[in-house]
Formats: sequence, structure tokens, C-alpha cells
Amino acid sequence: MIKAITTRTRGYLTGFFSYAGELSLLLVKTLLWTVTPPFNRYRFLAQAKRVGPGSFLISSLVALFIGMIIALQMAYMMLRLSAEIYIPNVIAVALTRELGPVLTALIVAGRIGAGITAEVGSMVVSEQVDALRAFAVNPVRYLVVPRFWALVLMLPVLTVFAVLIGIFGGFLICYFKLDISAFMYWQMVVDSLAVKDVVTGLVKTVLFAMIIALVGCHEGLKSEGGADGVGRATTMSVVRSFIMIIMFDCLFTFIFYFLFNA
Amino acid sequence: MIEIKSLYKTFDQVQVLNGLNLSVKDGETKVIIGRSGAGKSVLLKAIVGIIRPDSGSIRINGVEVVGLPDIQYDAVRKNIGLVFQGGALFDSLNVGENVGFVLDEFSRMKASEKRERVAHALSLVGLKKIENMMPSQLSGGMKKRVSLARALCMEPKILLYDEPTSEVDPITADAVDNLIVEMSRKLKVTSIVVTHDMNVAYKVADSIAMFYHGQVIADGTPQEIRSSRHPVVHQFINGASEGPITEDESMKFGHIK
Repeated sequence: MIKAITTRTRGYLTGFFSYAGELSLLLVKTLLWTVTPPFNRYRFLAQAKRVGPGSFLISSLVALFIGMIIALQMAYMMLRLSAEIYIPNVIAVALTRELGPVLTALIVAGRIGAGITAEVGSMVVSEQVDALRAFAVNPVRYLVVPRFWALVLMLPVLTVFAVLIGIFGGFLICYFKLDISAFMYWQMVVDSLAVKDVVTGLVKTVLFAMIIALVGCHEGLKSEGGADGVGRATTMSVVRSFIMIIMFDCLFTFIFYFLFNA
Repeated sequence: MIEIKSLYKTFDQVQVLNGLNLSVKDGETKVIIGRSGAGKSVLLKAIVGIIRPDSGSIRINGVEVVGLPDIQYDAVRKNIGLVFQGGALFDSLNVGENVGFVLDEFSRMKASEKRERVAHALSLVGLKKIENMMPSQLSGGMKKRVSLARALCMEPKILLYDEPTSEVDPITADAVDNLIVEMSRKLKVTSIVVTHDMNVAYKVADSIAMFYHGQVIADGTPQEIRSSRHPVVHQFINGASEGPITEDESMKFGHIK
């Protein structure tokens, strides 16, 4: 029994480190091809448009409702303690440090990450990636580099908007339901946030963007077996991105909390 | 000239290429025949470096490419055009962008020059004014022609065709055959055509090589192959179900695309 558990655990750990190694290798190749000419800004811009404006509406909508939900849930507790005046602080800090970056990353992983895997996977099974190689075009340079940088640059932008809209959602509840004045709400929001809150949120966002891009492209590039294989790769891409985003969020929160006291 | 010596390739314990030897002279059109999964497409991909062989030698115009690093291989690849079985056109690009793909990637031509070159490549394969169409709007035959035009746009010295007439109607297939012959005569390129269609083989070949169990078992002119007494060759070119080639042998050899 113990032997079976040990063997299985060893298998999972080997798989995990092997996967981490493959992603690290893809990251190194991506960075190397990024600085290798010729450069093509049009491919990057096309991907940036897809990630940024393409995901703005859904991430904003989710952030708006999350802001409203936090305000309502906090009101439920804070009203008992007559501490409803601190609700704006909770909304601002929770959204800036945690919920804004994580929720936006999860939305983008589901929308863009899955799309990347499906697109790249379809190209693999229809021999389009082979065609790239045959034409002396490296698939990492052509497919991964523009998607990677589009995500790394656009996800923080999306997160900033999501946080602002989420705080606005909280404002709607506080103003119309809890009778907190507009001036008081925004004053409390600004007072409660320090630069390090914004920085920690954005640093995590960059890391999440890298995870989404690398996992999405990696799963796509190794997909095989036709439509069924692409479907499986897409599912794996979303599952693995979600797990890694949450894992790294936890890790970074520990690091910021214990090392930098942030 | 392409010289292949003792080439081996295994996929998941299936020996696909088993010490294969083959030689293609400059300007020659060599047709490779054999059953599905005999390793014909694997050979084309090995020549262009998409698949790396386990061992052996491939010399392209005097350059040994087995074991060549990717960056140096790219210089060799730029002289080889590969026409894929399914076309392998890029879905997200229109026909014009597909055909001019290599020019966009590697040349500093003006946009007007590129347009002319693309139009010329399309006209060589009998297509006109379809630059703005998407690959999803094309028929199977048109996809093959566009794929050929894309390869021609590179002005390659070597053209590799993977099943150029599969999945197209007989009239289109004949037109594609004529194109292959025409490309060979007009452009003097060295060509390898992979097919299991004997009509194509007899029509376009300067010489025909037959693959069986990962090796070349016959290599000669169309007339020599037609009159071969080798039982495997005889069975294959006549399409007979009775003979040394059996259905279950594919379990031991090949069937890797």
C-alpha cells in the first residue's frame, strides 16, 4: 500500500518536474527568438489586439460583478460590527492585490489560452507547423513569440482596467445601498492602497501571462491525433493554466508576505 | 543531386526506414511508389529536416544534412520546396499571403514586386486572381495548386511532392500531373514525387523507385518497372490482392505517416 503510494507520488513528481522543464525550455527558446532578427511587429499587434480589446468586455464585466459581490458580502459582516466604513478599503486591497490579477488571468487563460492551444494544435495536426519548418521558419519564432509578448504586455493592462471597474462596482453598492458618500468611498480607496499593493498585483500578472502563453503554446505544439487530440490538448491547457496560476499566486503571496512584508 | 545511404528511422519500435539507399540526379524526376505507410512521406520529411533520421546519410547537393544544426539546415531548406499531401496552407492567411509567405519572411522586396511574383507563381499553376480568397474557400485541387505555387515562389532547386493527386478528381489529377512535368521541363528542378497511383508514376517519372519494408527493392525507368519480374513490384503495379504483399504485414512495417 505504502509502496504503491510512494511509486505513484514519485510518478507525479517526475511528471511535474519534467513538464516544468519543458516549459522552461520553451521560455528560453522564446526569449532567444525574441532577440533574433528579423522582427515582425504585425504578428505581435494582431495577437495584442486579440488579447487586449478582445478580452476587455468579459474581464470588465466579471470585475464589475465581483466588486459588487465583495461589497455586499462585506456589508453583511461589517454592518454587524458597525464597520461598514472600511468596506472600500477591503474592496480596493482585495481587488488590487489578489482578485483583480487572478480573476483576469483565469478569464484570459480560459479565453485566450484555450484559443492559442486550439489554433496551434490545429496547425500541428494539419501539417501547417511542418510547413513552417520546411520553409525554414522556426515555429517558436512564428507562433510563440508574438503570443507570449502580446499576453505579457496586455494582461497587466487588462488587469488595471479590471481592478478599476471592480472598485467602481463596489462603489455602486456602497453609494446606493450603504449610503457611503462618493467622496468618502474614493478617499478611502486611495488611502488604503500603497504602491507596493499595485506593484505586487502587476508583478503577479506578468507571471500569469507567461504561464498562459507558455502552457497554451506548449500544449498546442505537442498535440497529436487530429480533432480529438486538439480537443484534449485544449482541455489540458485550461486545466494546467488554472492550476499553475493558483499555485504561483499562492507562492508569490507567501514570498511577498514573508520576505518583503507586503 | 540527392544521395541517401543506409537511412534508418524508427517510430515507437516500428521500423519505417530500414537501411534505405536512394539517389536522385540533378534535374531528374524520381517517383517513389509503395503501399500506404511504407515510409515514403517520412523520407520526404527526412530530406527537408522535419523528421530527423536515427542514422544514415542524406547528402543534398554535396551537403550532409543528417545531424546538421537547424540554423545551418535552414540554408539548405531554402532551396527545397515541399508540396504537402493536404496542401498545409496557413488557415489564417489568404492565398496571396500563403504564396508570398517566404518572400514576406526572408526577402526585402517591395510590395509591388511581391505581388507580381505571387501572381506569376499562381499563373504557373494555372490560377489567376484568387489572391484574396481564403484556403477554406478552395477545392482540394486548388489547394494543391496553391501549395505548389507557394513552393515555386521560393524558386527552389528541389521540389518534393507528397501524394500530389490524392483526394482530387481524375481531371484535376491529370492537370496536376501535367504541372509536375511542366515544372520539371521549364524550371529544370530536381523532383521527388511520392505516390501510389501508377498512372501518375508512369506519366511524370524519369525513374521509379519502389519502397517495401523500409528499403528500395526496385529502381529503374518506368519501362523497367513495368516489365519487372520482382513479385512484390509486379503485385503492386498491377494492384493485385494476391501475392507476397499481405494485409497484416503492415502490422510489422510502416503505417506511420
